[in-house]
Order: sequence, then structure tokens, then C-alpha cells
Amino acid sequence: MRFVAYSFWFLVFLSGQCLGQKSALFGREWAFAQYLTEREAHAEAVHMLDQLGPLTRTPAQHDSLNYLRGWVAYTTKELTVAHQKLLSVSATSPFYTRSRYFGAYCLAFVGNRDSARVVMQTLPAPDSTLHELRALQLAGAALLQRRFDEYAEQRTQFRYTSYAMANEQRRFDRYDSTLRAEKRRSPLVAGVLSAVVPGLGKAYAGKPKQGLAAFLPILSMAALTYEGLRKDGPRSARFIGFGSLFTLFYVGNIWGSVLSVKVRRNEFKREYDNKILFDMHIPVRSMLLN
Amino acid sequence: MTTRFCLICIFLCGVCCSINGQSTPADWLQQADSLAGAGRFFEAGIVYERTLFEQPDAPLQLAAIRGKIACLKQQGRFGAAVQYLNGEVTNAYPDSVLLALRYEQITCAYLAGQFENALSLLDRLPYLHPDGPTETTLTSLIRVLSLNELQRWPEAAVAYRQALSRAGADTTQTPYAKLPKLKSEKKGQVLSTFIPGGGQFYAGKPGEGLLSILVQSAGLYFGIHSFLAGYYISAWGVGAATFGSFHAGGIRRTEILIRQFNDKQIKTFNANVRATLVAIMGQ
Repeated sequence: MRFVAYSFWFLVFLSGQCLGQKSALFGREWAFAQYLTEREAHAEAVHMLDQLGPLTRTPAQHDSLNYLRGWVAYTTKELTVAHQKLLSVSATSPFYTRSRYFGAYCLAFVGNRDSARVVMQTLPAPDSTLHELRALQLAGAALLQRRFDEYAEQRTQFRYTSYAMANEQRRFDRYDSTLRAEKRRSPLVAGVLSAVVPGLGKAYAGKPKQGLAAFLPILSMAALTYEGLRKDGPRSARFIGFGSLFTLFYVGNIWGSVLSVKVRRNEFKREYDNKILFDMHIPVRSMLLN
Repeated sequence: MTTRFCLICIFLCGVCCSINGQSTPADWLQQADSLAGAGRFFEAGIVYERTLFEQPDAPLQLAAIRGKIACLKQQGRFGAAVQYLNGEVTNAYPDSVLLALRYEQITCAYLAGQFENALSLLDRLPYLHPDGPTETTLTSLIRVLSLNELQRWPEAAVAYRQALSRAGADTTQTPYAKLPKLKSEKKGQVLSTFIPGGGQFYAGKPGEGLLSILVQSAGLYFGIHSFLAGYYISAWGVGAATFGSFHAGGIRRTEILIRQFNDKQIKTFNANVRATLVAIMGQ
């Protein structure tokens, strides 16, 4: 009986030893994956981290693995993987703060703006600097969604004194006023204008060169059609041929003017979204990577 | 009962020892070599890095670096190899090791298509290693080939002769006596401006030249005919517009054709020089 008890405790001891050694092994392998990341061997680091899965035992190890995998994905611009991994790091991890900020940014970048805003509201902000950084992120998210009232609320927390984000805060204010002042052009008005004077709708949409480029060929077609009518009459092949071409160009230009309002609007939106995302990114990098 | 207990103990001890028994850098290197031998270069590259991570002694470190470079080369990642070596050559290795690494760096730079970089690295060698053999068969070869790729023919001809004399080969006959005849883009443009289709003929594309002549003539004919018939707008809007568009397009097309022709000539010449040089140097 005593022999069995000794045996049991010996086996428990050995198993404990094994688990401890597995933990040490994980730490070593993780450090190696981090070393690969620092040497910009990203494909190799991902390969190593994928091999680490079965060795992961504790929540802390899971966090370390998710953080590093997310970080490599962020570095290689796989932002969907990056936000998935980074946002699964738990609050007990030493990488928590960095993971949340970068994960939220990645989420905003890939277009999940509502989810990004929800994550940003719970970003850790233990000191006044991070508190202001969180406000900047929330302000950026508000601008991305053109929620101007929410932006006004967040900007009350801007102090414009931090070297890492004062410029971005000022630029956000400029974006806010530009976006508020954006004129909403009407596709209908553009179409009507192009029906009256070919190309004018495109100029109204903010594309004057395209308007001129549309006007000249239509004018030429109109002149050719008129010549056909005047010289050969309404039943002539010349009049019918050039008239058909003129009609095609004329109607096509009206439709193009309607579309150009939407195209211009999207261009403007994309331009400002990129500026906002850029200015959200820089302070996160400069404050959390040093 | 006792036997079973002993077996379990042996198993657990074995598992623990295998986990705990950290491989030495030599073990990692051996594993990397066998992976590379099996053609698994990506995995081998990681294990070579692992060898370096375990901070081996100098000979193992050099073997691991060389192994890593070989793996990158085998994967065709020459640019990555140059970048990797950029970091390694700043380390405090013995002079002979640094020289060997710089040879690798030069080779990889050439293979990555970084010809200016390859030449710059070659020019730096005598200053960085004043006592070392900085001009070897390999470096001479890379110098000639890089100069060729950059179309620096006179310098390439000098380097070619030097390489041949180093190899003890005949230096009297070189391919540089007959350089590829390149066509002038400007001449092509002038021809296309004054003789429709002439530029395409000059660029060696008579079919395109004939087509260009045909379309431009049709536009011109239509324009003149319409004008004479009193259709002034048609003469301008269709005839002149067709002629003008195809005329301007013909000039632009000539530039592209001449560029393609010249590229082809250069590639053929470089390929011939490369084949000749490798054959001579390999003897």
C-alpha cells in the first residue's frame, strides 16, 4: 500500500516537471519567433508561431502567442488576421494595452467602423496621456463615420500639448470643418446641367477637365449632324449616321455626369478617410512602440 | 505492478528529458543541413536561424549564416539575401569571414537585379579588405555582367579584357568590337512625323507601317474629298481628326517599338557575353 502511495506521488512529481519544462520550451520558442520578427523574417515567424499552437497550455501563453501572431500580421498588413489575434489578448497580459490599441486601429482600417468604435470605448487608459490617445482614436472613429456631434464631444479632451499627437489633433479639427462644409452635389442636377450644356454636369460634379473633354466631341458630332441635315436632308445616311452617334454621345454624357457625382463623392470620402486613418495611426505607433 | 510502474517512470523521464534536453547549436545546425539536403529550404532557413539564435561559436555561426544564405538563394529570394547580409556584414567577424560574406552579398545583389548595388559593393571591397584577394573570377564576372546590364559598354569592355587576362584567355577578340546597334527614338519620331508609317518601318515593323499609312491616307482622302464636296465640317471633324489622331498615335507607337527593339538587342548581346564569359571562366 505504501509502495502505491509513493508511486503515485512520484508520478505526480514527474508530470509536474514535464509541464514546467513544456512551459520553458514555449518561452524559448516564443522568444525565437520574436527574434525572427525583429529580423523581419515574417514568413518564418508565422511558420514558427503556427507550430507553437500545440505547446500552448496556459492563458498567458495563449495571450503571448496571439499577440505575436497579431503583431506579425499587422507588420505584413494582413489587418483582418491582425485585429482578430490582437483583440483576443486578455486583460491580464502585459501586451494588453498595445494589442487593444493596434487591434482597434486595424479594425477601423478594414472598414469595421462600428466594431472599432465599440472597442475604442473600452481602450485601457491608465494615465492622462493614454486617456488623450483614446479620445483621439474615438474622435478619429467619429470622423470616419461623419458623426460630428460625437467628434465635438471627444475633442473637448484634446489638450494640443502632447508632442505625439498635437499636430494630429489640429489636423482632425481641420478635417472636421472641411467635412462639415462638404457640398452635397446632386446627381439629378448634374444630369440636367449636362442635358442643357454637354459636360457642364461633370464640371458641376468637380471634374471640369472631364467636362471639357466631353463637350468637344459632342459639339463635333452636333456640327456633323447639322451639316448632314442641311446638305442632304433628314433621310440621308450621313444625317442618320452622325445623328445616331450624336444621340449616343449625348445620352451617354448625361448618364456619365450622374455617375461622376457619385465618383467624386467617393473620391472625396476615400481621401479624407485615408487622412484620418493616417493621423490615427501615427500617435499610436509613436506612443506605444517606444 | 512494479514492472508497469517502472515502465511509466521510464516513459515520463524520457519525455521530460526530451523536452528539457535543449538542443545544442551543433544539433540545430545538423538538423538544418539535413532539411536543406532534403530540399526543404524554407524550413532549413528557419533552423539555420535557430542555430544563430542559440548563439553558437564562430565556426558554427558562419556555417549557419552560409546555410541560411544558400536556402534563400535556393528559394530565389535574392533580395532578401542581400538584406540579410546587410545586417550580417556589420558584425565583428574575422576579416576572412567578412570577405566571404561580402562575396555572397555581391552575388546575391547581382542575382536580385541590383546591378548598381553590386558594382558599388565591388568598388568598396578593396577599401574594406586591403589585404584580401578582392578581385576573383567571380567578382570579375559579376562586374562585367553588371556593367553590361547597365549598358556601360566601354567600362564593360575594359573589365571583360581584365577578366579574360586573369583567366589566361585570348583578349584580342571581344564581343565589344561589335556592340548592338541601337535605334534612335528621336530619329523614329522625326520619320513618323514627316513620313506616315516611316517610323514603324525604321523600327523593323513594316506591317504596322503599312497599316498606319493606309489609315492616315484614308483619313486624308476623306477630308480632302469632303472639303471639295462642300462638307467642310465633315472634312475637319472626320477626315482631319482621323488623320491627326493616327498620325500622333503613330509617333507614340514608334517610340514604343524602338524601345522594344533596343531592349531585345541589348538582352541578346548580354546573353551572348554572359554565355561566352561563363564558358571561358569555367574552363
